[in-house]
Amino acid sequence: MRVPSILRGGGFVAVLLLLPLLGLQHWFLNLLVFVLMYATMSSAWNLVGGFAGYPSLGHAAFFGIGAYSLALMFKDPVLANGYEPFFVLPVVGLIGALIGWPIALISMRTRADVFAIVTITFLFVVQTLAFNLHDLTGGAQGAALPVPPFPAASFELPFYYVLVLLLCLAMGLTFATMRSKLGLSLVSIRADEDKARGIGVRTTGVKVLAFSVSVGITAMVGGVWAYYEGFIYPQFAVDPLVTIAMVLMTFLGGRGTLWGPVLGAVILEAGQQYLTYQLGAVQLYLIVYALIFLMIILLLPRGILPTIEDRLRQRRRRQRADAATADAALDLTAGSDPVTTDHVDALGGGTT
Amino acid sequence: MLQSNRLRRRSGAVVVTAALALVLGACTSASNNGGASASPHSTTPLVIGASISLTGDFADSGKAVQRGYDLWAQEVNAKGGVLGRQVQMKLVDDASSPTQVVSNYQNLINRDKVDLVFGPFSSLLTVPASQVAKRYAYSFLEPAGGGPKVFAQNLDNLFFVQPAPVVKSGDVFADWVLSLPADQQPKTAAYTELDDPFASPIAENIRARFEAAGIKTVYKEVYPAETQDFSAIMSKVVAANPDVLVGGTQNEDAYAQVKTLVQLKFSPKFMFLSNGANSPLEFPSKVGAQNTQGIMSAGDWFPGSTAFGSDAFAAAYIKTYGGSADTIDNSSAEAFACGQLIEAVATKTGKIDNATIISSLHQGTWPTLLGDLSWGPNGAPSGSFNLIQWQGGKLVPVFPAAIAKAAPIYPKPNWGG
Amino acid sequence: MHALIQGVILGILTGGVYALMASGQTLIFGIMKVVNLAQGAMVIMASYLAYQLFTSFGLDPFLAIPVTTVIMFGLGVGVELLFLRPLRREDKSELSLLVTFAVALLIEGFLSVSWGTTYRSINTGYANSSWTVAGYQITVVRFWAFALSLVALGLLFWLLNRTRFGRAVRATVQNPESARLLGVEAQRVSALGFGLGAATAAAAGSVYGLLYPFYSGSHYDLISRLLSIVVLGGLGSVGGAVIAAVIVSTSSAIVAATISPAWSEMTFFVILILVLLIRPQGLFGSVSRGAI
Repeated sequence: MRVPSILRGGGFVAVLLLLPLLGLQHWFLNLLVFVLMYATMSSAWNLVGGFAGYPSLGHAAFFGIGAYSLALMFKDPVLANGYEPFFVLPVVGLIGALIGWPIALISMRTRADVFAIVTITFLFVVQTLAFNLHDLTGGAQGAALPVPPFPAASFELPFYYVLVLLLCLAMGLTFATMRSKLGLSLVSIRADEDKARGIGVRTTGVKVLAFSVSVGITAMVGGVWAYYEGFIYPQFAVDPLVTIAMVLMTFLGGRGTLWGPVLGAVILEAGQQYLTYQLGAVQLYLIVYALIFLMIILLLPRGILPTIEDRLRQRRRRQRADAATADAALDLTAGSDPVTTDHVDALGGGTT
Repeated sequence: MLQSNRLRRRSGAVVVTAALALVLGACTSASNNGGASASPHSTTPLVIGASISLTGDFADSGKAVQRGYDLWAQEVNAKGGVLGRQVQMKLVDDASSPTQVVSNYQNLINRDKVDLVFGPFSSLLTVPASQVAKRYAYSFLEPAGGGPKVFAQNLDNLFFVQPAPVVKSGDVFADWVLSLPADQQPKTAAYTELDDPFASPIAENIRARFEAAGIKTVYKEVYPAETQDFSAIMSKVVAANPDVLVGGTQNEDAYAQVKTLVQLKFSPKFMFLSNGANSPLEFPSKVGAQNTQGIMSAGDWFPGSTAFGSDAFAAAYIKTYGGSADTIDNSSAEAFACGQLIEAVATKTGKIDNATIISSLHQGTWPTLLGDLSWGPNGAPSGSFNLIQWQGGKLVPVFPAAIAKAAPIYPKPNWGG
Repeated sequence: MHALIQGVILGILTGGVYALMASGQTLIFGIMKVVNLAQGAMVIMASYLAYQLFTSFGLDPFLAIPVTTVIMFGLGVGVELLFLRPLRREDKSELSLLVTFAVALLIEGFLSVSWGTTYRSINTGYANSSWTVAGYQITVVRFWAFALSLVALGLLFWLLNRTRFGRAVRATVQNPESARLLGVEAQRVSALGFGLGAATAAAAGSVYGLLYPFYSGSHYDLISRLLSIVVLGGLGSVGGAVIAAVIVSTSSAIVAATISPAWSEMTFFVILILVLLIRPQGLFGSVSRGAI
């Protein structure tokens, strides 16, 4: 029975919406907030890195741009009802997308290698700017956001629901892309860009659009994060490890899939927070991270979901093949040739 | 590639399963209301939680803080604990990340239900962490978050366990310089400041006071943290020929500034470095012991201090961790002082819950191995640091007179002597 | 004016060191079409090795180079065999970026576990001395670093132009298919080439440790500078990388001296963007098949 994707998606969203009503403890809601953040960002990264095949290593720069944009808009520490920062998020997303547009135009004219170089350099430049533009960002002293006036008992909930909304946006866009001409264009670019251009795909336009949307969403998540933390510093708001996390999660779950990035985020973010807390002074944090990354790339290069699909497909094929040979064998032995019948009796249980 | 229907089905199933697993985990823990109880029964342990940076960029200082906390717990338990309860430190690692530190305090307070919490290392992590503590009405004694933004939050549950806010650590130098007879005071000053939440404000505070007193600023430069090459900056300092050089520094840049000045063969008459010059072993090893003479810095704890509990602390530290008094990192002393305060509140009030701690510490002064501490309503301590100077290869407190072990040497002798 | 010329001198001297680091990086790209994001981390690792040899045995960092070069060469070959060779050709360009980044993190993690996260620097006796030439300061260390870089680059050029291995490398860079037809074993060249890139990082590491304080996380700043230099010079061109390194270093130093140190960090990015806008293949790169 095929469950239509709408129902599946709807079921997932319903679960997410109802989860907090189970009376979950604060520390768990806190964990969910971070998982949702990374799930959204990974889904957004997937648009550029997974579908288009352009591995952006600088997405964290836009995370930081989103965080600082929100901080700038709320320099005045007094909030009326605490929801203003959320209403302003679309503007933050637009800012991210608008900054991403020229970056994409410049860097996507070239190959994927140079694209990665430009994005990673952009990341460090944004970090440097965050440090140096004192008047704008507060520099190394950091930038403060107004304290969210939500009651302690339900503090995490507004953030949680806003992030659910953002995740639905990211996944919805991914879903729509996969089913549209845009999606086909992206995939064709990833497969062979020159050919794609040859057959008339507007490669530059498509790539730049995907990149802008992707970084716009990332910027919005950055804004939510800034509000949640309450105080941001350049080296944490614009942090290469955030990019690596997004990339790793998408890779783990499966690039170019709808659910892959979400799965990767659930596994890695929850796992990482748990490990860091429980294992305490395990100094091997970075080493473990890097090793997991390398193992995924080498052993599961396509990610969990596509690998599962491949295995299942192989098994189906084998089953079908076995079934076919079995049928053929039965046909052969079902004949009334006494020699073969005896043969069969001798083999299996006889009739005598 | 675009997914087949089968994959969509499978992947949806996998994600829902994972989500269910998360929910199950949540429910089990939701029903698990165990953990350290808040009952005042005198034999249950007093669990104190803290998130410290055991890995990542702040790791070395984070470990010094850990040693301080653990040492205090060990010492106080040997004396019978706090109000008869044995102290258990629950220390977790935040990998120097503000995201993790928020989660850690959430977990400590809401999942493990610790009785009290202490602060993490660095203002960067203290700010978000203190908000979490405030939300759940936990007191927040913290040994390492003293930047202005920490106090700008106006949290009544926060107490910075050092003699004064970090930006004021240069004030004692200004106090001393301005106390000199007019003809011996410097006339011109240069300021080299690291762009950082602490270093630059310290130098700026000094500059405000010097300018008000008529000491002319002949050069000022704020440099970013990644600056590795100081030749350009220090050449300009040399060209301006100041009487006094005020460095708002951390460690590496302090060493680099001194080394560059040695190479440029310029020695100012007065030199103050807010950090770097106050580390007893690192500084001479990095710049050369013969170059340290006369350089000044600020500090809170120092070996040989006669403040409350200092000797016992130093002795216990050496016995537990080895080394000598000179190898003790100040962060350990500051962490230890947090514990001393808990003991003091318990002894004075007979209670040790968060509300009591918050209300008690806001009144009066409290003796610790850093000196007597008292706080304003936003957690800023109202004392002052000590001015220390390198004399004969050792760091010696020279001002104010009450704690001075030697007279200050000025003008600063030339390099190598 | 004085400050300006002092800046130029500083830039040229520093440029030599960056040239050495960048040459290894661009060589690796030329041979394998792999952007090695771990180049910075390898330099830092070599700095730590030189530091340890100095503090444990008193071995001068310059003299430690033969030792560190051999170790890092082996490391480079190992990384290529373990992590890069198993990648399938279709995925290679995309995945090699991530693989080398992961290797960089692995190295960083290993370094912070082994040596902690405090800053280190190699403080030899001559670390603080300087000469005054015509009124300008030239630090001893920087001068010898520059001299060493020239020697090392000279060795590299000799290796590439006068040995059979070097010819195989250049053939592979120019045209892998033809090279293979002529009997060049691409895989062996790849492995040895990566090792060679790591070896240049080793030489640069000793020098870097003498000039600057470093810790396990220093490789981020380093790699972003190296990448800009390599793109400016033209991916795959060693000579281009050398010239680009001097240009970028000198521009940074001039900006630091005349405008402010804070903005000198941006110089290399501005240069990168300009290059990509005006001449994407860099100064000496080739506009070749499927490239740009």
